[in-house]
Amino acid sequence: MSVDLFGMSLNPWADAAIRLQLVVAFMTVVVMGLIYAERKILARFHQRVGPQKTGPRGLLQSVADAVKLVGKEDLRPAAADPWTFELAPYFVFIPIFLGFVIVPWVQGWNVRLLELGILYFVAISSISIVGWVMAGWGSDNRYAIIGALRAAAQGISYELPLVLALLSASMLAGSLQLDKIVEFQSVVPLIVWQPLGFFIFFVAALAELNRTPFDIPVGESEIVGGPFVEYSGIRWSMFFLAEYAGMLIMAFVGSSVFLGGYSWPFGEDFGLPFQMLLAAGKGGLFIFLIFWVRASVPRLRIDQLMGYSWKILLPFSFLQILINGFVLVYGLPHIILLITGVLSLGLLFWVTEGIVKRPLQPRRRRARAIAVQEAEVS
Amino acid sequence: MVEVLSQTSDQSAEFETQDLLLNVGPQHPSTHGVFRMVMTVDGEVVRDVIPYIGYLHRGAEKLCETMDFRQGIGFMDRTEYLAAFNAELSYVMAVEALADLEVPERAQWIRMILCELNRLSSHFMFLGAFGVDTGVFGTPFIYAWREREALIDLFEEVSGDRMMYAYFRPGGIAWDVPVNFVDRVREVLISATQGIDDFDSLLSENEIFLARTQGIGSISAERAIALGMSGPSLRASGVDMDIRRDEPYLKYDQVEWDVITGEHGDVFDRYYCRVMEMRESIKIINQCLEHLAPGPILPEKMPRMLRTPPGEVYLRTEAPRGEYGVYMVSRGGNRPYRCKVRSSCLSNLQALHELTVGEYMADAIVILGSIDIVLSEVDR
Amino acid sequence: MTTEPVEEQFTNQIGDHDDIWSIVDNALLGIGVNRETGFMDVIVSIETDEIVQASRALRDDEDANFDYLRSLTAVDNMGDGMEVVYHLYSTTKKHNVTVKVFLSNESLRLPTVTDVWPAANWLEREVAEMFGIKFSGHPDPRNLLMPEEIDDTFPLRKDHPLAEIEVLQGEGMGYSGEEL
Repeated sequence: MSVDLFGMSLNPWADAAIRLQLVVAFMTVVVMGLIYAERKILARFHQRVGPQKTGPRGLLQSVADAVKLVGKEDLRPAAADPWTFELAPYFVFIPIFLGFVIVPWVQGWNVRLLELGILYFVAISSISIVGWVMAGWGSDNRYAIIGALRAAAQGISYELPLVLALLSASMLAGSLQLDKIVEFQSVVPLIVWQPLGFFIFFVAALAELNRTPFDIPVGESEIVGGPFVEYSGIRWSMFFLAEYAGMLIMAFVGSSVFLGGYSWPFGEDFGLPFQMLLAAGKGGLFIFLIFWVRASVPRLRIDQLMGYSWKILLPFSFLQILINGFVLVYGLPHIILLITGVLSLGLLFWVTEGIVKRPLQPRRRRARAIAVQEAEVS
Repeated sequence: MVEVLSQTSDQSAEFETQDLLLNVGPQHPSTHGVFRMVMTVDGEVVRDVIPYIGYLHRGAEKLCETMDFRQGIGFMDRTEYLAAFNAELSYVMAVEALADLEVPERAQWIRMILCELNRLSSHFMFLGAFGVDTGVFGTPFIYAWREREALIDLFEEVSGDRMMYAYFRPGGIAWDVPVNFVDRVREVLISATQGIDDFDSLLSENEIFLARTQGIGSISAERAIALGMSGPSLRASGVDMDIRRDEPYLKYDQVEWDVITGEHGDVFDRYYCRVMEMRESIKIINQCLEHLAPGPILPEKMPRMLRTPPGEVYLRTEAPRGEYGVYMVSRGGNRPYRCKVRSSCLSNLQALHELTVGEYMADAIVILGSIDIVLSEVDR
Repeated sequence: MTTEPVEEQFTNQIGDHDDIWSIVDNALLGIGVNRETGFMDVIVSIETDEIVQASRALRDDEDANFDYLRSLTAVDNMGDGMEVVYHLYSTTKKHNVTVKVFLSNESLRLPTVTDVWPAANWLEREVAEMFGIKFSGHPDPRNLLMPEEIDDTFPLRKDHPLAEIEVLQGEGMGYSGEEL
């Protein structure tokens, strides 16, 4: 059996290897660019400038960071368990890379479009939770283990809404294969029919990535780095890269499933460059949203975070599936989806707000002290 | 591999667990200085917290006994470096009380303006650090510090120093303010008002922020009084006590403002009381600026070496963090015989144990931030 | 342009001394007291073994109602012993009083008032470690600011020296005191 790659016929193993290599190379460069982008964008949110000295406009900052990290001493706590401590970065890192297998970048460009695309993606990405727990346990540090257990609890809790949101979208598209979902959206992106699903996916993706407001495992102002507190140099940079690679993959999966990927609008008509623009633009928008949220909101406590997933997101994602099923089985027009989606999203916000609000004003007491003296004097 | 305290918790009969002993600090990004807490944690719930202080103890009180009354001002600055004008104020007023010095009007109004501006800058520092404690990555910090920079620049123009001013003297102030002082203060107040509003809109109505701060770490009014708390931390529990109004010093009886009290005494009330207090401070400063008139800044007959007759005085003022008092005993001569600094942060920190036990571990940091301590004042 | 006599600057802090004295006297009901007037507050002196009873009386009496312990400190009078000074305030009646207990150098002990005002907890710990005064019945008599191992040095006593550099202040002196 041979496969086509750039017009060459190759053994499928070699072909997969080459494609994976290309993806890895591409991804590494993009991730370094993402790190720089985050620093610059967050700086603009803070009215600062961000990196500006290393290279023109600070563009070589990520390179400088990489060089520094490579040169650092590789410290390992004396009592750390050698197997778990050393293997943990790989357990975090590799599943995310493997997730790139099914991502449709543009039409015809991908590693392997599996028929079980979404299912594969979710199954593989949940393995990295094991890596977090290994890192925490192997570090022989109380902060690390607390962070690891928090990460495990959080990761497991938010898998469900993530899967259900993706599944509800694929129900409409009729397939789990990502490029079929993208092509289904050539006229209307799925976010229009699934606003609730998109919101649930976005929130669950933030939680899976351990980004603010769900970054309590890595709570910098409390347990200072969580499971990664004992890692230094290259090992730590693997975790760091894994985080940004995870962001990248969530962005691309999210934009493929909900925003129309390379296909909407008119992607298939205008050819490859336009598709690349669309794919990059939508992925970039998704990532910008993640950065924006990071600059704006405090972090949730672990019990609030778990409560939000199990008590609010999960029921609402079931609701979304129910509505989808209803509409599909009875052949109702898709506009019902939009209306019910917006209403359910409003209901979700209302339920969340109702739990936390309390009137703001403390009491004021006028303090005009001893004005009597002046009255007496005058 | 992971050491746990071999102490079984008896909370649930059917599930045997062990408590974890966790050490927070002294090097920690959230402890606002060198401070150490040993928390005993059962899962995520704090069962016990033991604070260890004294890392920043520099013997300010002992040193003051060897310095004359002007040299001691520098030590007072350094005990509370975020609100140094208020710290200096207590000390110089105590000396004036003992030495029977008359302070000219202009000096009093200038002192008042600077102390209230210092309250603003100290509260901005609190807002920034508190925002970071709740988990936002840096945005509240930068917002707050943008305003604080404007204030600190003004302080530098007035006294020559950004943080440890050594500007007040017994009898008045060291030198007069720059000619454009009033305009500069008005400028700074405009940007500070805008800054407070910006900050308010960023955090005070954010649902996640409210979920993190409301209902957490509350203390009742009776308990707060019994523990000796003061300042906004006390007023947030509903206790109506403000030294500026109850025992007015400087010219506080000639200006009008509101004393803000909270209701629930939780973390959010402590935060919001400070935000509203900042607006009140701006009101006070505006009124002071109207009263400011040309005049002398030191008494005419100012002795070169200040000596005080024997006596003692306990002089308290309302610093941003609470009641900052100076108990000064003089046996004649040009030095204090005993100079005790009643530290607001020390008394507020005593309440940490009560506030934190029973709350979640993540809340311990938020509660510590809400008490707003500065370790140099706790340790002196 | 006017300057004010210094008493008027503090009028509102001083309060009416005779008023406060009569209230305090009533509250203390026969516990031996001694009255002075400091610059701002009425000062009452109480015997060592009566301090807890007096504190309770001052806190619980309706007219006095001194429920707020502002400050607790000590002064080393060298040969004449030490005095422990309590500054009290009433949040309801808004008046102040200062209470002193005189201790002789031979017996630096007195009972704790932590049961009356929990605020005294850390304040007494500090006085204990700085002056060597023992507060009997204190729930947590560890060092507060000093290192935990040190229990025989009391820095704020007058016979405890400062380091040499502090004594040698003047021009022409080097870091360790030698002439430049």
